[in-house]
Amino acid sequence: EAQDGAPQKPLYLCSPFVDAALVKGNFKTIVMQPKYTDIMEWVAVNVFDFYQNLNLFYGVLAECCTQHSCPSMSAGATLNYTWINQDRKSVQLPAPTYIDYVMTWVQNLLDDDNTFPTKSGKDFAPTFPSTVKHVYRQLLRVFAHLYHAHYPQILHLRSEPHFNSLFAHFLAFGKEYELLEVKDIKGQPGQLVAIGALWERWKEVGILEA
Amino acid sequence: MEPSQSSSSVNSGQSSSSAKSADYVYFDRTTAGFSDDAVPRAKAAQLKLEHYYKVAVESAIERNTRRVELERKLAADPTMSDERKQRQLQQLGKRESAFLRLRRTKLGLDDFRTIKVIGKGAFGEVRVVQKSDTGKIYAMKTLKKEEMLKKDQLAHVRAERDVLAESNSPWVVQLYYSFQDPTYLYLVMEFLPGGDLMTMLIKYDTFSEDVTRFYIAECVLAIEAVHKLGFIHRDIKPDNILIDKEGHIKLSDFGLSTGFHKQHDSTYYQRLLDSANGVTSPTSAARNSVMVNAIHLTMSNKDQIATWKANRRKLAYSTVGTPDYIAPEIFLQKGYGNECDWWSLGAIMFECLVGYPPFCSESTHDTYQKIIRWPDYLLFPDDVHLSREAEDLIRRLITSQDRRLNVEQIKHHPFFYGVSWSAIRQIEAPFIPRLRSMTDTSYFPTDELEHVPEEPTGGDASGANKDLAFLGYTFKRFTISSQAF
Ligand SMILES: Nc1ncnc2c1ncn2[C@@H]1O[C@H](COP(=O)(O)OP(=O)(O)OP(=O)(O)O)[C@@H](O)[C@H]1O
Repeated sequence: EAQDGAPQKPLYLCSPFVDAALVKGNFKTIVMQPKYTDIMEWVAVNVFDFYQNLNLFYGVLAECCTQHSCPSMSAGATLNYTWINQDRKSVQLPAPTYIDYVMTWVQNLLDDDNTFPTKSGKDFAPTFPSTVKHVYRQLLRVFAHLYHAHYPQILHLRSEPHFNSLFAHFLAFGKEYELLEVKDIKGQPGQLVAIGALWERWKEVGILEA
Repeated sequence: MEPSQSSSSVNSGQSSSSAKSADYVYFDRTTAGFSDDAVPRAKAAQLKLEHYYKVAVESAIERNTRRVELERKLAADPTMSDERKQRQLQQLGKRESAFLRLRRTKLGLDDFRTIKVIGKGAFGEVRVVQKSDTGKIYAMKTLKKEEMLKKDQLAHVRAERDVLAESNSPWVVQLYYSFQDPTYLYLVMEFLPGGDLMTMLIKYDTFSEDVTRFYIAECVLAIEAVHKLGFIHRDIKPDNILIDKEGHIKLSDFGLSTGFHKQHDSTYYQRLLDSANGVTSPTSAARNSVMVNAIHLTMSNKDQIATWKANRRKLAYSTVGTPDYIAPEIFLQKGYGNECDWWSLGAIMFECLVGYPPFCSESTHDTYQKIIRWPDYLLFPDDVHLSREAEDLIRRLITSQDRRLNVEQIKHHPFFYGVSWSAIRQIEAPFIPRLRSMTDTSYFPTDELEHVPEEPTGGDASGANKDLAFLGYTFKRFTISSQAF
């Protein structure tokens, strides 16, 4: 369908969808660590919320994300994420399987009082920051796949202002707490993450801070 | 930052500006390829996210307000050392952090240990419990969902629960957590160790006018507080007036009391009224028998009161509840405002001084009758001496809606002469519970509740059905819950 043989711009980068937003204004208001609070608690509750909210939308899109439609966990024309299995081997998985692994893994961490403590007086383990970084990275991949492979469905369900804001918030949060690796969003040469362009665009128009 | 209002109008074609960018795309939206429930679920996800961001912004603002207020307060205090100021700020941070943690916390029955069953309500029981990780003591009320569904009460509970959580009035029992499993809803509230006014009245029979003045004056302020929250209690009765460890009163979970809900159920009252008025069903009228007006061997007044007293607690445990304190306009369905609560207060005051409520009867039907025809039945017994002021106040509360005193008039009534309305909660109460421990239950009729099981029957004590603890994030609720840690 691409005219002039040029690759067609993905829908999420096109007007008006690219600027559709549920939340307007500077994300700093809800991203900044509240003064005097424990940064671990702040990061923990936000990761918890990101997971819940992403799960909410994935729950709707899951019926469109099948072995058949998504035989690999793709996030760009030439990028497929691989899962590291128990034998530490990286394996290609269909996207629904991959996402299921991610979501189950994160849910188990959130439910584990040793990782995400909820009991009064129980502290975060010293490994918490690195665990959270892993979690963030995997959730980012789920976002990346949904943008790359399921954006038309998001549009059909009229969810793009919501999904965009959730993702923009996720990015702003990741940047603030150094959970976001620029290479994860931009990709390597020849392995471009599709949403890299979205990140640039949002910075241009001020949805995200440069 | 705020959630934008026009979130759903992003639909491409409707953009107002004519200058559309070069990459403007028209996209034909259709839900044709989706399963039936995809659209409603997408909508639900959107709504949840909208709610999430609304709350996130509000909480950020409120958190900020709390911090700025404390900082300002500390800055204005020249007597406090910098070190202490710093400690106070750190403490605020601790509370805020604990509050953040609570949002991730799932609670279940197994997080609480039952110490004793202390009360019974229409939909379940009330237990003194200890939260395992903190060791804190609470009162936990269980509400059986099935019973409430039958009576169509669940929606109310949600709304009421929110209001309860929002109040930080010293006159209202505070709610700390609520959660559910498949069988029950659980409300975890502050434990008031002094029992309730009903138990006290059973014990003391009557109060002196001074003691009555204290309790009724506190009730006036408590009811006023409820009204200020935008609520009409509708079911104020001695069972709902709880006594804290200093001997001061608090109103218990008003929105949840059965009486409250039944007042919404108009058919319930209609049925009672019909049977009270002798409206009989057509089938019985058509029967081939002669209708007789049964003659009741009416008991003497004394016997009646004795029966009433003997049955008082049973009535409190039953789903029917006692109608003794309910204003006539409520079950006449004429429409009512918060003045109905002042009627109830009049009835309670009568009971405090006389020993039984003004319209008590052998049966609830008779009580209804008497309340509707209150001018004929409001009688002050000869053998009890009441001051002129006391009787006058009662008569100005137990009266028709339009003549009933309002809160300001009540406060200025001669019966309350000398009451310091602003300081009453700080003065010493007439009965201060003598407690041996934090979990002393000697002010509750625990021996009558021995058959009630330790754990709610059918509740999930396995922890498999844990629910995210309900707790709002607003400023008001924060101050309440900060004490919960
Ligand atoms: N927070 C509390 N602290 C101490 N005791 C309590 C508390 N809440 C309730 N109780 C005790 O349990 C009894 C029953 O509770 P409550 O009145 O709330 O139940 P209910 O289901 O609302 O019944 P009803 O509608 O008849 O009032 C009270 O009369 C009181 O003795």
